[in-house]
Amino acid sequence: MPPSNPDPTDAELVDSFPYVQVDHDTKHFYRGWLERRLLVNRCGDCGHWHHPPKPVCPQCLSGSLEPTEVSGRGVIHLSMLLHQGPRAPGVDYVAGPHPVVTVELEEQAALRITTTLVDGPEAAAIGTPVELTWIERHGSPFPAFRTRGS
Amino acid sequence: MARNPIKDQVAIVGIGTTGFRRDAGGRSSASLGVEAAIAAIRDAGLTPADIDGITAVAEPGAPRPNQVAAMLGIPNVRHYASPSPVAVFGLVDAINAVFSGACDTALLLFSMLRLPWGSRSAAADPFRKHLGFGASVIPEMLMGAPAYAAWASRYVHEYGARREDFGYVALNSRTNAASNPLAAMRAPLTMDDYLSARMIRDPLCLLDMDLPVDGADAFVITTAERARDLRDDPVLIHAATVGLASEGDEDQLGGLSRTGQHVVVEQLKAKSDLWLDDVDVFFPYDGFTIITLGWIENLGFCGPGEGGKFLESHWDEKSGRALIDGRVPINPHGGSLSEGATRGSGHLREAVVQLRGDAGDRQVAGARTALVTPGGFFFNSQGVILRSG
Repeated sequence: MPPSNPDPTDAELVDSFPYVQVDHDTKHFYRGWLERRLLVNRCGDCGHWHHPPKPVCPQCLSGSLEPTEVSGRGVIHLSMLLHQGPRAPGVDYVAGPHPVVTVELEEQAALRITTTLVDGPEAAAIGTPVELTWIERHGSPFPAFRTRGS
Repeated sequence: MARNPIKDQVAIVGIGTTGFRRDAGGRSSASLGVEAAIAAIRDAGLTPADIDGITAVAEPGAPRPNQVAAMLGIPNVRHYASPSPVAVFGLVDAINAVFSGACDTALLLFSMLRLPWGSRSAAADPFRKHLGFGASVIPEMLMGAPAYAAWASRYVHEYGARREDFGYVALNSRTNAASNPLAAMRAPLTMDDYLSARMIRDPLCLLDMDLPVDGADAFVITTAERARDLRDDPVLIHAATVGLASEGDEDQLGGLSRTGQHVVVEQLKAKSDLWLDDVDVFFPYDGFTIITLGWIENLGFCGPGEGGKFLESHWDEKSGRALIDGRVPINPHGGSLSEGATRGSGHLREAVVQLRGDAGDRQVAGARTALVTPGGFFFNSQGVILRSG
């Protein structure tokens, strides 16, 4: 892991994640990644969470949004095993299928994050309790999940 | 009933197609598109000068309306648009333009190329290098195609679906494609073939996914009144709609019980005088097999999770395909899985061919009403009911 930059500029932030679109709505979410913190937009007025980041709260239309750290605990809601797919460092489709899981976070029903599961394809069953962990992708932190006891 | 003043007021009077191939061999999207367009205009008994509206669907690499006008020498274009892909977006644009008087006769054009992100041979073609649209850049994105495999996992989890449930969709398409000379994949397929096919995005395998192809479809659309002067077998648009549920991203969808398909079904039912018992030929989208099961269930042919068993119980062993109540075929042209990934233009074209009675060996006897439901669960669910005029 490269030495962490305590206060990256906007340009450095964008350069840290060349494979996603970082804009004014998503910049706080990805700044969180650099600090290995999963920040999800929460409404300052009604408390509703939403993801991915939008410019207003879809529940009450307030523009008062607070990127808020979540517990990282959740349950696998969708699960697929990629036998082929986009190239990425650390992903070897020849060695075995790459699990991609959509995790429903415990903070709110249907609030979900999609990423990989570090325990491997056999562990990726729907309903499995998981918690956040961090791996590295293109030299920057990347959120992932690992299984946990229920 | 929902408001539907356009009902039976607009007609399809011309169709043209190149047919679909895994590789059309050194041709541009514009070349394929213009071939289909000329065929459709001639099929309507018209010339390019009679066209005053162009809806050229914004497929990657496809010609824009101004390029279509330039290729065909259309002198006066009064309406033009480039709607998103998947067929009914374009159809709705063209029929609304005709009905409103924005134009009198519209050319609706779909021109498809295999793209580098969905086809290895296309990725190796230097002339397609610029067509990068649609690619997931990291494995952990559900945007677009992968979302169907992810939600198929949920379908399996919630309903205990068997692999065979998906397999029936693939088998039905392939059997039907065998009698369609326009289709790209016509070799017979067995359930054993399906079950042993290579996994791509488990739970979906190679045969659950549509087939990237090169080719084009075109339609000429005008008022029902003018249509009667042009030909004796116009096809009328009885009801059409698109549908969107509110979730903005595939992985945030509330659930399989509330998708864009549900919005479409409610709207179509409320607009149409004709419904499932009236349908003679049915065209559910099959970009992925899970989408077809979704349409069969959400339209109300059977309950949630029962799509595969529905196909099994309506299976015609003799012909090796589904016939609803022994009568109604499903995607008789072979659909996107076997004719090729037309994103619904093939479904629409075959509906017109069937309603004209021109389908030869595939003809559904006395077909008067077709139900066509392109699109999947998220941002392209849509439906149209066509009837012979």
